Amino acid sequence: MTQATRADISVIIPVGLRQDDLMELYEDYCAGLRALGHHFETIFVLDGPQTRAAATVRRIMESRPEISMLQLTRPFGESTALMAGFERATGSIILTLPAYSQIESGDIGKLVAGLNNADLCLAHRTPRRGGPLDAARRAIFHHMVSGITGSKVRDLGCGARAMRRQVLEEITLYGEQHRFLAVLANRQGFRVSEVDVRQSPQDHFAGHYATREYTRSLIDICSIFFLVRFTKRPLRFFGMIGVSTLSIGVAIVLYLVADRIFGNHALADRPALLLSSLLVVLGLQLFALGLLGELIIFTHAKNIKDYQIAEVVEFPSAGERPRIGRSDADHSGAEAGAPAVYAGR
Amino acid sequence: MSSAPDLSVVVPFYNEEQNIERMYHALIDALVPLDRSFELVFVDDGSRDRTAAVAKALAERDSRVRLVKFRRNYGQTPAMAAGIECARGRVIITMDGDLQNDPTDIGLFLDTMATGYDIVVGWRHNRQDKLVSRKIPSRIANWLIGKVTGVPIRDNGCSLKAYRADLIKHIPLYSEMHRFIPAMASIAGPRIAEIKVKHHARQFGKSKYGISRTYKVLLDLMVIKTITRFTSRPLLWFSLLSLPLVVFGTIALVAGLMNGLGAHSISLPLTGSGLILLAATVTMIGAGAFGELVYRLGDIREGQFSRLTERFMASAETNSIEHLTSPALATSVRGPAQ
Repeated sequence: MTQATRADISVIIPVGLRQDDLMELYEDYCAGLRALGHHFETIFVLDGPQTRAAATVRRIMESRPEISMLQLTRPFGESTALMAGFERATGSIILTLPAYSQIESGDIGKLVAGLNNADLCLAHRTPRRGGPLDAARRAIFHHMVSGITGSKVRDLGCGARAMRRQVLEEITLYGEQHRFLAVLANRQGFRVSEVDVRQSPQDHFAGHYATREYTRSLIDICSIFFLVRFTKRPLRFFGMIGVSTLSIGVAIVLYLVADRIFGNHALADRPALLLSSLLVVLGLQLFALGLLGELIIFTHAKNIKDYQIAEVVEFPSAGERPRIGRSDADHSGAEAGAPAVYAGR
Repeated sequence: MSSAPDLSVVVPFYNEEQNIERMYHALIDALVPLDRSFELVFVDDGSRDRTAAVAKALAERDSRVRLVKFRRNYGQTPAMAAGIECARGRVIITMDGDLQNDPTDIGLFLDTMATGYDIVVGWRHNRQDKLVSRKIPSRIANWLIGKVTGVPIRDNGCSLKAYRADLIKHIPLYSEMHRFIPAMASIAGPRIAEIKVKHHARQFGKSKYGISRTYKVLLDLMVIKTITRFTSRPLLWFSLLSLPLVVFGTIALVAGLMNGLGAHSISLPLTGSGLILLAATVTMIGAGAFGELVYRLGDIREGQFSRLTERFMASAETNSIEHLTSPALATSVRGPAQ
């Protein structure tokens, strides 16, 4: 791509609790960004009231015209911050960067270049510092995620990602979902790639909160599992477990009753009777949960559309191309315009 | 071409580069003599071969062809749903992209539709597939589907079907429901006919089905039953489901307490399990009440479905009823009984 095509990059930097000196960091990012030769803009999204960070960003703004700042009134989380920043972004390429040093700024170019044959490009920090225990935890975590989702990922914790605008137009992130953007994008049919980047020498967060990191990994695994397996066909998921539990329970009951009739063992002497009734109950309730899930999906089928049309090709003279199939993107666009409440200066 | 065509033929393709061009010619040869305006909606379900390229070339050459492209492979139901969503015809015909259905049957479908049916389904009466792995399981499944849904179609798996567009566009289609579209549509009480169609053995490409779907079909049936009969009455449905709990729970409780009437003490296991079962009933009913809430908050209203198939008749038009006779080849599954 040459400069004449004016490839616009919007850099979104969500500023949460963890942050390095923004001034220094931004200088560093700028060096990497300028080396690309593209026209870029930067949006700092302050997640919650952060007077110090706001002052710093204001000071940066004095010397640089390409920066804007968005302040959220309370900490909404990184996903919301990213979406709020995206609403203001104008570039055709969106680059999210963490508010702390994670990667060497010289490698930002690699991320953007990765979009040549993908829609979303993730950074994979390598070689990675940290003890063997951390490395093992990360390896197990990413293996499990890859196993559940079928999409190959190696570094979900890295906040540096480059994507085409379309990706965020079609995917609305909430909660902790920014971490699984790759999984969500893959499900929507976007091509996801990963490039190796060098880890910044200042990136040393892991290890301090070991237990926190472990629980977080575990919760992440669960959410991904439900996201992928459950949201589509709840009864397939709950029904399988429910029916198996129910059949075990029923089998035990039948055995006990047969033993009562033919073997003359009084049911009253059988604690297994309690076990079996609990299993029957559990099975039925899981099944009921699955049915309830199906009801929810059916009654909201219009909103939970499980496919995305990439394009409709028709005879060139067929007139104006109908905007069929992009209705989801339209919705998110409409929603995106609505909450102007965010900026609380 | 601004007005809606009479007919849209929706064909999903997944890795069918050898078949798509043939399919196109077969369709054109079959449809042109019918003398009705038509469009072909080809859906590329994220094929990894040249299917999309071939289809694109066709769409750019022929104004009657439109290509709906997926970014990745979503499966047959989403492909059909997308094709139906994009189709503009008043009648929508769906068929497989593997040339196993014969486009020359389409004329008969249209004739049957014209006699007042909302849905016409094909029946591959001399099916060209393996007996044990395909035909027998399918026969059992079809019998079961007919029993559970009350729409006794002999061949749910046949993709060649015709729908009135404004009916099918309002039926939610998702996941792997394409085999159950008539059953799903039964929520609107459509008039359904079944006609025999030709079926050819597969010439090119690979079949994409396996037999390992039995448990899925069973669970899907449960879903269909729930959705089509009880969407607006989940409380009733969940109460029915918890009926066995009530019966066994009461029996166990009474038996346990009766034990105490004699010289013995009250039987703890029996009373206990009775109480557990009865408690479970309460949570089941709670789930049903929850379902009522879900129904209220959702955008499906059962009343809206009656409008899809209703037929208003003022006294001046009573003679129009004589159109509602089936052609000789069609079997009425449900609908115009006159």
